[in-house]
Amino acid sequence: MTIEPRHREPSGHDPDLADVRAAQRDRAAFGTLYRRYVDRVYGYCFYLLGDHHDAEDVTERTFLSALAAVNRFRDDGATFRAWLFRIAHNELANTLRTRARHRTSSLDAVAEQPIDADPARLVGLADEGRRLRASLEMLPEDRRQVVVLRFVDGLSAREIGIVLGRSEGSVRVLQHRALRQLAELIGT
Amino acid sequence: MTTRPSLAERLDLAVDGVLDGMSPGLAAAGAGVAAADRSLVEAAAALRSALPAAIVAPRFEARLGSRLSGAAVQPWILRHPGRLIVTGAVGSAVGVGVTAYAVWRSTRRSQGAAQRLLHR
Repeated sequence: MTIEPRHREPSGHDPDLADVRAAQRDRAAFGTLYRRYVDRVYGYCFYLLGDHHDAEDVTERTFLSALAAVNRFRDDGATFRAWLFRIAHNELANTLRTRARHRTSSLDAVAEQPIDADPARLVGLADEGRRLRASLEMLPEDRRQVVVLRFVDGLSAREIGIVLGRSEGSVRVLQHRALRQLAELIGT
Repeated sequence: MTTRPSLAERLDLAVDGVLDGMSPGLAAAGAGVAAADRSLVEAAAALRSALPAAIVAPRFEARLGSRLSGAAVQPWILRHPGRLIVTGAVGSAVGVGVTAYAVWRSTRRSQGAAQRLLHR
């Protein structure tokens, strides 16, 4: 039995393209794209920021920027959702930079922990989901981004490459390293 | 000659299977991931169930939705800047006309009053 790769439509095919064209003609039609992606953009922000309010702020800025720039979107290989998550990624990076300057967030504490800071504490956590989420926070930033975009938002390696400005191959390598690290942390 | 996909590529394919709802064993076998690396596919399956899709608060969604609607519907004057110039020109012309008429009327009135005084 073989597996068909997901999200690898023939080149040039973007399932959102018709709605994007409609939004480019009449910006009021952007609502369709907003409703389709608001939860996923929010999920990406939430899992990386760990705070509802910050995630809402970044989600809001992402969609306002996307609406302002929708006429500049071109169907030149990147899907609309990769383009949208790229905007979210940039907004997220700004928020993380601000946090790093002010050193006020809970994620700062997580980021300051060494990668394998306290495996005994992890093993002691009864719930596997909690253990995994705690392990996820111990991953380096780039691996965590790949995991969230892949497992929460369902983007393909190619789309994640567009979002993060990396090659498809390097995204797969990051995913491989992240899964190896997580498997070691949770002891699967 | 075809080269065998790397472990990272085979693992990515197995993750596709897991995300489509396949069991880790089936996804690993289907993607050609060796038994020694099955733990990675199991970690992927565990991740999939540990990271549920997040859902935005309905109030936030509604507020942002109406903000986007407001931003999407520009006032007609901004969509057609030429109309702004025409409106300004017409408004100015009307203003000048009304002022000129008022001055003319008041001049006539004061002249009439002066003449009536002279005739007394």
